[in-house]
Amino acid sequence: MASPGRIELDKLSVEQLKGLKEQTDLEFNLLQDSLTKIRTAATRLENASAALHDLSLRPHGKKMLVPLTASLYVPGSLDDAETVLVDVGTGYFIEKTMAQGKEYCERKINLLKSNFDELAEVATKKKAIAEDMAMLLQAKLRQASPGPNS
Amino acid sequence: MKAHSHPGPCKEINGYRHRRRKPTKPASTSYSSHYPKPAASCGGGGGSSQAMASSSTPAAVREMQKDLEVQANALSKIQKDIAKNHQVRKQYTIQVGENELVLKELELLSDGANVYKLIGPVLVKQDLAEAKANVKKRIEYISAELKRMDRALKDLEEKQNSKKESIFKLQQRMQAVQAKA
Repeated sequence: MASPGRIELDKLSVEQLKGLKEQTDLEFNLLQDSLTKIRTAATRLENASAALHDLSLRPHGKKMLVPLTASLYVPGSLDDAETVLVDVGTGYFIEKTMAQGKEYCERKINLLKSNFDELAEVATKKKAIAEDMAMLLQAKLRQASPGPNS
Repeated sequence: MKAHSHPGPCKEINGYRHRRRKPTKPASTSYSSHYPKPAASCGGGGGSSQAMASSSTPAAVREMQKDLEVQANALSKIQKDIAKNHQVRKQYTIQVGENELVLKELELLSDGANVYKLIGPVLVKQDLAEAKANVKKRIEYISAELKRMDRALKDLEEKQNSKKESIFKLQQRMQAVQAKA
């Protein structure tokens, strides 16, 4: 993925260097966006895990309000907190026990965390490269126009 | 000589100038010193009229400009196709990733567990083996599509490069011709 022109940064003209730096900045921003999305997803999973845990503490038959729509809740009683339906993506739901459900959440959270870490590494590297290019660009600009730039 | 008053004809034309006319039919008949018509190179890979005589008449310049436009339009179309290809490929990659996650979960299940599929507003009970088979098939299908897109992308990129080259050559020739004028 390293661009071949990287090694000859010094030989690039100011224009090319500027273009390359902009490209790197763009890539870095994309990486940041992905990082944010991962963080959001991880938070949601953690909420789900907390909700599960809470549910497991409630006794059978406990009175609760069941959401029918986003603004309509109806009173009901907790029936079976032992089985949960887990949404695994592409429209598939799997019936699991409470323990398995919690374990699923844990697994997903760990997966997301490792992805997040990898991505963060790549992002910092890109940022370092972008900063190098910026410095080089400034140096070149200063070299190129020492006169009018008094 | 009357310099043709086109705004910057030697600029790299990546913009969307619409074609003014169909490739030069009436004008072409007055040149006996021209080789393969620019009209023919509409679909061809350009650069075929390399042996053109150096006629520096403004009409020749106009022709070359038209040819340049035609080529530039083709290039921008190719670039749009490439962008679309990227977009679709991104979608497919995401889908394949999601399906692989689902497959992993399904594999982890023991045989007794219940699997439901969401079809519209209805959760329908599915057989575990059937669900696994479905997901596997989807993964295969999407991977095949991805490979196809990869090949198409490579073709498009090659075409783009060759078009860029032919445009560049045309521009150089135009500059030479105008320098003489």
